[in-house]
Amino acid sequence: MTMNRRSFLATSAAATALTGAPIILRAQPKEYVLGASLPLTGPFATAGQLVAPAFAMATKLFNDEGGVAGTPIRFVTEDSGYVPQNALNNYQRALASEGKNMIGYFADSTGAMKLIAPELKGENARIMGSTSFASELADPTTHPYQYMSGPSYQSQFDILLQNIKNEGGEKVAFIFSNTEFGRDPIEHGKMRAAELGLEVVLEESTKAEGADIPTHVTKLAQSGADHCILQGYVTGVWPQLIGGARQFGLPVKFKGTFWGMEKLIADRITAEAGPFLAGYEGVMPYRYFYDREDAPRYQQYAELSKVMFAGTPLENYMSTWALQTMCGLEIAMKSFRDTAEAGKELTADNIAETLSNIKDWDSGGFFGGPVSMVNNAIGTGRVYGYNPEDGLFTPKSDWLSV
Amino acid sequence: MINANLKSSYAADERVLNNRYKQAFVYSMIALLILFTAFASDYLILIACQMGILLIAVVGINVLTGYTGLVSLGHGAFVAIGAYAVTIFNNVATGIIPAGIMPFFSIPFAVFLAAAVGVLVGLPSLRVKGLYLAVATLAANFIVIFLIEEDLFAPWTGGMVGLTTNSPNFFGWVLDTKREMFGLIALVGFVALMMAQNLIRTRIGRAFIAIRDRDYSAEILGISLLRYKLTSFAISAAYCGLSGALFAYFYARILPEQFELSLSLNLVAALIIGGMGRTMGPVFGVIIVVLVPELIKVLFGALAGDSAGVGQLRAPLQQIAFGVLLVLFLLKEPLGINQIVDRILRAANRWPFARG
Repeated sequence: MTMNRRSFLATSAAATALTGAPIILRAQPKEYVLGASLPLTGPFATAGQLVAPAFAMATKLFNDEGGVAGTPIRFVTEDSGYVPQNALNNYQRALASEGKNMIGYFADSTGAMKLIAPELKGENARIMGSTSFASELADPTTHPYQYMSGPSYQSQFDILLQNIKNEGGEKVAFIFSNTEFGRDPIEHGKMRAAELGLEVVLEESTKAEGADIPTHVTKLAQSGADHCILQGYVTGVWPQLIGGARQFGLPVKFKGTFWGMEKLIADRITAEAGPFLAGYEGVMPYRYFYDREDAPRYQQYAELSKVMFAGTPLENYMSTWALQTMCGLEIAMKSFRDTAEAGKELTADNIAETLSNIKDWDSGGFFGGPVSMVNNAIGTGRVYGYNPEDGLFTPKSDWLSV
Repeated sequence: MINANLKSSYAADERVLNNRYKQAFVYSMIALLILFTAFASDYLILIACQMGILLIAVVGINVLTGYTGLVSLGHGAFVAIGAYAVTIFNNVATGIIPAGIMPFFSIPFAVFLAAAVGVLVGLPSLRVKGLYLAVATLAANFIVIFLIEEDLFAPWTGGMVGLTTNSPNFFGWVLDTKREMFGLIALVGFVALMMAQNLIRTRIGRAFIAIRDRDYSAEILGISLLRYKLTSFAISAAYCGLSGALFAYFYARILPEQFELSLSLNLVAALIIGGMGRTMGPVFGVIIVVLVPELIKVLFGALAGDSAGVGQLRAPLQQIAFGVLLVLFLLKEPLGINQIVDRILRAANRWPFARG
């Protein structure tokens, strides 16, 4: 074979690629990978499918901003069916196939977080956010690599109970699903209520789907509670429990935590079952998407949504669940970028250290003001109330930090 | 025309691997497993570990359903018992039994406990059969998960929060990587499979098969239904307990929801797909049950990328594919992949003579 200019160049290019590329790759990955498990099927498929587009938006937004110190990021998302074991398998698979390039993971349930937590050690440790606000996770000593993009359920209960006290409430009922999610803040809530001088007159545990709700309504009526906090439901019990209580003529005020605060669901239930959600209140860590005057980051999201999701319901509104995911990703990105800027390697330990030291972070409008990470969580929230007439949740309190 | 497999003594006929093909197959599989442990990528090792754990449980279901003809939809419970027993034993015995020999006590404890509970759950099998027995065993799954979640036992079981597990430690060698765990899983899985193959040539195995083929005829022949049905339950539960013990060692934490009905159904589905009452049936079944979703994932990933939008399309497709596969096997090949493989091997063996 004769060597001409073209074949010489091709051979040298190939040789350079073969010898040089691995060294370059080792020094600086071509891209960083963030894995995620979402409930795209199963009982929480509604939530998962509303959250999924956020990842497409996050990819574009973060990469347009230069990724992590110039290296682009890529998301690998998998369905979990809301089964923690599936999320764990997804995590292990992502870790096995992406290796060191994977610098973070996003899980979709408390169960998944707890199941994956003990896997995060040594070489397998990765920084990890999730949709969970489980109080157990807000503890850097036991869960150093996991963080929460808002207040734990216990903190949310603190905010609600304080709000009930301010409103002059005296007797509180706790109705919660018989799941880990439902039980999480109950003991703490009882303690906090006692401190505030509130009487807990009913602790009622139900199925997550609330099959025998009428019994619970009767118990609520007998308890004489003036306020009732619902915990551990996404949508399941609103029509039966709140609707049932209204039919019964109970004056009790219902309150919920983050997962019971989605406008799309409240709107749908109002359309199907009537305006019984009038006066329903709950704690929300973030602004709603339509309240974006003082939220520059939300405005950026809105511009992107208009282009990326044109013709879909997501064009004009981002669900609270998608906002939670975006907030979690923003915190992760800030930690990656700050770690890289400090000249440190993007190891889980370095990133976790940066993350736990986030102070007075201007989130661009997610929260009322600058926030800090305390115990790997952001203990800030605000009480919002729903109005079925305009279909909006509007603020009922100032931003409260606990 | 039947050819080959000439045996010139009873001893040759009684061997576990009673012909040259079986021997060659098993020895080459051992070699392959050793090579696989050494050279496979982390991803393949991970998938193989999941397969191995599932395989042992499916071998257990095979003893009960495939050999003895008793249906169970509650064997997830025995996997749970194995997993929790090994972890609780570890927690309680720490300080009493040295860590380096702990698995030699904790794994047998888990296996025996699962077998004991298996006998209890098997009691209804003496009175009811078929669909009725399936429903009776279904209760086992719910009761065991309920008890694990109960507050009363939470100090040991961790309740809904679950338990953090330890890595197995053999004389100071802690198997804390997936590859090391695969070594253990492959070894245990291989032995379990060989024991199942051995079982069917023993008196007990023949009794199982007689019960499967016609239980009252078996009883007339002098086979005690009480004894052998309960033995079958105990053996199959013991396999599931062993699978659970490895499950607990493989994953860093166990939660009650990992052992719910879907696991029991998966075990039965894998057996139906692979082929009931055949030693290799569980192997083929597990390969399909674990690999099909993975292949769909890889294929979709190659065609359309890893974005959440693709995930949204792919997720239901995986479940549909699994469902369709199950229906197809029930309709077209109730004897499972094992039967298809048999046909192919028979044709190859007789070539160029009669096929089929």
